[in-house]
Amino acid sequence: MIRRDKFIIALLMCVLTAASTITAQTPRKVSVNFKETTLKNGLRVITVEDHSAPVVSINIAYNVGSRNERQGRTGFAHLFEHMMFKGSENVGSGEHFLLVFNNGGNMNGTTNEDRTVYFEALPANQLDLALFLEADRMRSLAITKDNLDNQRNAVQEERRLGVDNQPYGKSGEVQQELLYDNFAYKHTTIGSMEDLNAATVEDVSQFFKTYYAPNNAVLTLVGDFKTDDAVARIRKNFEAIPRQPDPPPVDMTEPEQKAERRTSVEDQLARLPQVDIAFKAVPGNTKDFYALQVLSAALQTGRSSRLYQRLVKEKEMVTNVGGFMDEKRGVGALYISANPRPGVKTEDVEAAIYDEIERVKSDSIADWELQKAKNTTRRNYYNGIQSSLNRAITIGQYAVYYNEPGLINTRTDKVDAVTREDVKRVANKYLQQSNRTVVITTLKAKSDGAARAAGQ
Amino acid sequence: MLALAASSALAQGQTGPGAPSTKGAVIKGRAPVSKEVLKVKLPRAQEATLPNGLRVVVLEDHKVPTVTMQMVILSGGLSDPSGNHGLAATTAALLREGTQKRTSKEIAEQTEALGATLNTNAGLSSLTSTVSASGLVENLDQTLDIFADIVRNPKFAADEVEKYKTRTLAQLQFQRSSPQFLAAERFYRAIYGAHPAAFVAPPAEALKGTTAADLARFHGTYYRPNNSIIAIVGDVTLKEMMPKIERAFGDWQKGDVPQTSIPVAPVQSNSRIFLIDRPGSVQTVLQLGTLGIERNDPDYFPLLVADKIFGGGPAARLFLNLREDKGYTYGAYSNMSTSKYRGVMMASSEVRTDVTAGAMKEFMYEFKRLREEPVTATELDNAKRAIIGGFALSLEQPQALLQNIITQKIYDLPADYWDTYPQRVAAITAEDVQRVAQKYVNMGHLQIVAVGDASKARDVLAKYGSVEVYDAEGKPVQ
Repeated sequence: MIRRDKFIIALLMCVLTAASTITAQTPRKVSVNFKETTLKNGLRVITVEDHSAPVVSINIAYNVGSRNERQGRTGFAHLFEHMMFKGSENVGSGEHFLLVFNNGGNMNGTTNEDRTVYFEALPANQLDLALFLEADRMRSLAITKDNLDNQRNAVQEERRLGVDNQPYGKSGEVQQELLYDNFAYKHTTIGSMEDLNAATVEDVSQFFKTYYAPNNAVLTLVGDFKTDDAVARIRKNFEAIPRQPDPPPVDMTEPEQKAERRTSVEDQLARLPQVDIAFKAVPGNTKDFYALQVLSAALQTGRSSRLYQRLVKEKEMVTNVGGFMDEKRGVGALYISANPRPGVKTEDVEAAIYDEIERVKSDSIADWELQKAKNTTRRNYYNGIQSSLNRAITIGQYAVYYNEPGLINTRTDKVDAVTREDVKRVANKYLQQSNRTVVITTLKAKSDGAARAAGQ
Repeated sequence: MLALAASSALAQGQTGPGAPSTKGAVIKGRAPVSKEVLKVKLPRAQEATLPNGLRVVVLEDHKVPTVTMQMVILSGGLSDPSGNHGLAATTAALLREGTQKRTSKEIAEQTEALGATLNTNAGLSSLTSTVSASGLVENLDQTLDIFADIVRNPKFAADEVEKYKTRTLAQLQFQRSSPQFLAAERFYRAIYGAHPAAFVAPPAEALKGTTAADLARFHGTYYRPNNSIIAIVGDVTLKEMMPKIERAFGDWQKGDVPQTSIPVAPVQSNSRIFLIDRPGSVQTVLQLGTLGIERNDPDYFPLLVADKIFGGGPAARLFLNLREDKGYTYGAYSNMSTSKYRGVMMASSEVRTDVTAGAMKEFMYEFKRLREEPVTATELDNAKRAIIGGFALSLEQPQALLQNIITQKIYDLPADYWDTYPQRVAAITAEDVQRVAQKYVNMGHLQIVAVGDASKARDVLAKYGSVEVYDAEGKPVQ
């Protein structure tokens, strides 16, 4: 149930059916009621009033991600995100952390290909603090060379922690670069060390001006407040921040893949080989995307899944197998990853995976598997709307991704509409050999590491 | 239900504009902060006991139509027989690999078709084993049926036990590629020696020797209603749950459950330095720490506040120093664990190899500073407000609230423990913090573990004492 009125009125997250009237097998409907308004400077504001806990959560989603980066500046959108914590006109470097955590709050910022978000959850009496922190940095980010160098270091350590010092870290990066043709997605969000080193203070200023404008952002506020009052406070904090010219649009066209792509990565840190398969598919929130999500659930989510039962339990070929249908604004892919047990060939693991895919292509999935995907979607939805912070982040994401904040309420219906025939159709359409990108991680021949250390 | 109460809180920004009150942060003090700490009233759980001794705890939360059930068996890894470390963990893992009524595959399919999740867990040195199920309230009856079945009637079929051992042994190998795993393995061994808390993964030899009969014996001995608490949170009431629980567990037989004696953590050894060589590493993973306290120790609250100030998040000293000021790392934190035996007080970070020396210097500086200088009034007040203020956010996490209730029962804490928690935190002084820092952060007992490129890290660490080098298999390198 979505209601978008021109006027902001107080609304609660409502439970449509009282608990006492429930009989078994009658799903209760729950929805998030939000109100929307746009400030004069173009800032889109979405509020959900909910008095069930004395908490307020704010999320600002900026319509910028690593897809907006140019060649030679990979990793920049994320490096910039770090700069947003290094101070603004009225907030000192790092003071943001102290103000939020020391008042019992929680916060973070994250960047992906398609968006950048900043969020805080705080006790409800700290609403003004949350608004002030977000408005001050949107209006007046302080950009210095020292801060940039400091965060360049932190981000390079983030890359080492997640990629360079971890087994299979490089494999994911290699796969993404091989899978895509359009530069927008053909590089990772964390970026290359070389490009991170190349980023300048001028880059930061320009990026801020272009993308961190109120007209390129969505503010979501969820929690224990009176909507009229909260919107007035939002206006007071944000409405004077000047609008900027709209950022240039990004070309997200991804050419059709005509033949299998394949490579291997030698990994000194890995102890078992790995098979990574990606089938290029469709953007998120499309009919085929939801059918692919259902297909992925049947194929590889949980212990009941076909790949787990066949490869882990029955054939004992792998220690792990799993994956997901990636949700992107542009073309996403269905990913499958497996680690063969010692002594098992990667070719055999790949062949066993393709066998299971062929079975879905000819027979589709069973009714219980369809039910599994639908029920799991609904449980995940409920878990997701339980906290005000999750609601704020989810609504903001759907607003930026699809211009459809109400998707928070309609998403389960979209999965419920998927049929067994849909699943069979998308399996045949997208899970083709010509449409896949395979990366095999191999082990480096045993090095004499111990001997080397002893020699020092 | 909340009341506003003035706290002793001081305002942000007592320092002037631009004055760096904390290393790594600049405090301008211009942001509007409410001086009041929200006092919140925690929701009450309802309780009952079945004639067979099973304790029932229900916490109502009607926000969304889901329910989570947790069977807490009051015996875990600490009840493992000597020489068979990991038995409680393996027993828990095998619960869902088949019952008298259902095969492993049927359990997985039936659970997931309902949109439910099922988890079983016991640690290597845990006080408890747990089985939990979470799902849609409309499917409660079917979910409860599977849940009760795996708690009460596991089959421990020999072929499933063998399959589990095969894949777990491979996973133990797989795990050794993680530098954080290698560091933790060595760190806990250094702190705990022969105590079961030394294990972070089941020893392969013990796992190989485990039989279906061992598992059935552990289950038959400890999985008894008079040794269990079933805790439920979600869109249900105690009134509607009781008949269902009676049906599912009413005829579960009591048993004579042997008392598990809690092994005492060993006397702290002198400071040692361990270096695990992991060829190809571009970072050094550092874990440093000492033995801490038991959960019921009166020093719990002062140490909790000390940990918050030292490394309990991005607003703490370690993060602000090592990341925000120095740029050595993506993060640096401290962590305090407690149990019925003494836990640990430890700090950790991952730093690029060529700043290992700088990072070590800052860690040692921060450990010494915590001991030698009283924390400032601002730091103390901030840490206390962070802990107390966080209670408001916990109201959005009913499962965390339920966990608090379980903690209160396991440790026999006073009934009003969580209600009076804010007052206990508020009472801590800077002298308390320094006293416990001096008592537990004993530099002469500090255990230091580094995982990385030994050829580069060895000389750096040698400045702090003699370095014992191991390979990634856990074997000493001569």
